[in-house]
Amino acid sequence: MSGYQLTIDDYSKQNSSKILKKLIFYVLLIAVIFLSVYFIIILDTDWHRIGSGASILKQLSYFIGLDVKIMPLLILPAFETFLMACLGTMLGLLLSLPVAWLGAKNVTPLGSLSFGFARMLMTISRSVHEIIWALIFVGAVGLGALPGILALAFRSVGFISKIIAENIEGADKKPIEAIKAAGGSGFDVMYYGIIPQILPTVIGTIIFEWDINIRRSAVMGLVGAGGLGLAFFRQMHMSNYPGVTTVILFIVGLIVIGEILSHYLRKKII
Amino acid sequence: MNNKEIYKRNNARNFINVSLFFFVIYLCFLYLGIDFERFFSALGRFGSLIANRYYPVEIPYVLEPGYLGSILDSIQMGYLGLVIGVIIASILAYFAASNITPSKRIGYWIGKFFIIFSRSIHETIWTILFVTIVGFGMLAGTMALTMYCIGFFGKLFSEELENVDMKLVETMRSNGANEMQVFAFGVWPQVKTAFTGILIYTWDVCFRASTIIGFFGAGGMGWYLKRNVLQLEYARTSAIIVSIIVLVIFSEALSAYMRDKIYKETQ
Repeated sequence: MSGYQLTIDDYSKQNSSKILKKLIFYVLLIAVIFLSVYFIIILDTDWHRIGSGASILKQLSYFIGLDVKIMPLLILPAFETFLMACLGTMLGLLLSLPVAWLGAKNVTPLGSLSFGFARMLMTISRSVHEIIWALIFVGAVGLGALPGILALAFRSVGFISKIIAENIEGADKKPIEAIKAAGGSGFDVMYYGIIPQILPTVIGTIIFEWDINIRRSAVMGLVGAGGLGLAFFRQMHMSNYPGVTTVILFIVGLIVIGEILSHYLRKKII
Repeated sequence: MNNKEIYKRNNARNFINVSLFFFVIYLCFLYLGIDFERFFSALGRFGSLIANRYYPVEIPYVLEPGYLGSILDSIQMGYLGLVIGVIIASILAYFAASNITPSKRIGYWIGKFFIIFSRSIHETIWTILFVTIVGFGMLAGTMALTMYCIGFFGKLFSEELENVDMKLVETMRSNGANEMQVFAFGVWPQVKTAFTGILIYTWDVCFRASTIIGFFGAGGMGWYLKRNVLQLEYARTSAIIVSIIVLVIFSEALSAYMRDKIYKETQ
């Protein structure tokens, strides 16, 4: 037999080793499931504290019902949450413009140095959870809506600037070269060559991020920034469970409104 | 009207629009009670906070066995939440995909409602709710992550299901296949790759969430974070944040690698 032909034996041997590998992989995955079940549900759970099914149901039944009295008090925090999301997204966009400029391979000014720096900023911004950002900013600028806005902005920078940078890298080179050939400066290239090309995608991304930011800004209050999260925190600490349900309803309503708005806006733009 | 006038008018209009925009932002700032001096000095304060308090990162703290164990706890929580969440979310997504749903009137809306509901509540709020119901510990965290996964995975997967090629499904239906057969031989082969991709992505996101939910009473790394934040142990807090960043980058790289591999295998 010539060397480059696979016999059926060889083939089945290769195949069976592949199947064996896959089998081991799946068995491992399932073993980890059992291990986690053992650690979480058997070792770590205090079943005595939870009690029987009836006591869980009793605990759940506290949440049933709405507290009508606090509803008027929630309208302003809901508006505040909404504003926090809007301003946070805007500030995030503002901050992500220079990061995207540094992080796009074809326009970055200092080569791999600034490129690497911008990529590092993006990764840090995305991998730190918004709660941690809020904690840091509450420490830095005090309580209120401002740390929430800053936390949302810093959390959004990673995603927005990554998308903008990718779009700049993928932009059509012909208009850019034409502007350069006509003697345009770097600013001219950016303003007339690149921005008109990437604008629709970027606006879509911003609307998407804004939609997510509404969800995030609803929990900023848990660590000291304002909004509906603070109302939730208060109701929870007063053990006013119907009030908690009301706040959650408000959050869901706000997010549904945001989702409808973003759907409508994206359709209008794209 | 010549060009110059049009240019002038447009310029004036742009000027009015821009100034109106800034005026609205100014009103928002006033409404939210934000001090402008604080706003403009925020970056400086942030920098000095990082440099003065967080900076000497106490790396040995995150290498202690207790903390390393909590990382394992977080991973387990994320994994178990993912498995249970994906099983529930797949069923819900099957109902919530408008083209293949078995009952358009009731099942569709139920599936859609549950997915939107679990998506619109943030994972930290789920954690707080479950902690009040089942008490502190990893069980509450697992439940919260389950809800999170239902929302995240359900949305992406139901959108994927809505994009399947319906011709194949119609052909099978007209040949007398029942719902199970249609799903197993008509729909599933089309979405298999996307399912695995979304699954890996969901794991990545779920792990990211599992690092923080301990802050509100579920186990894992978040609990250490909360303790050190409350004790004002800045050096340790920053060490924990750094460890979270490293782990998240690692999980992101792993999930990107796996998705790439699966994508290549199916090509």
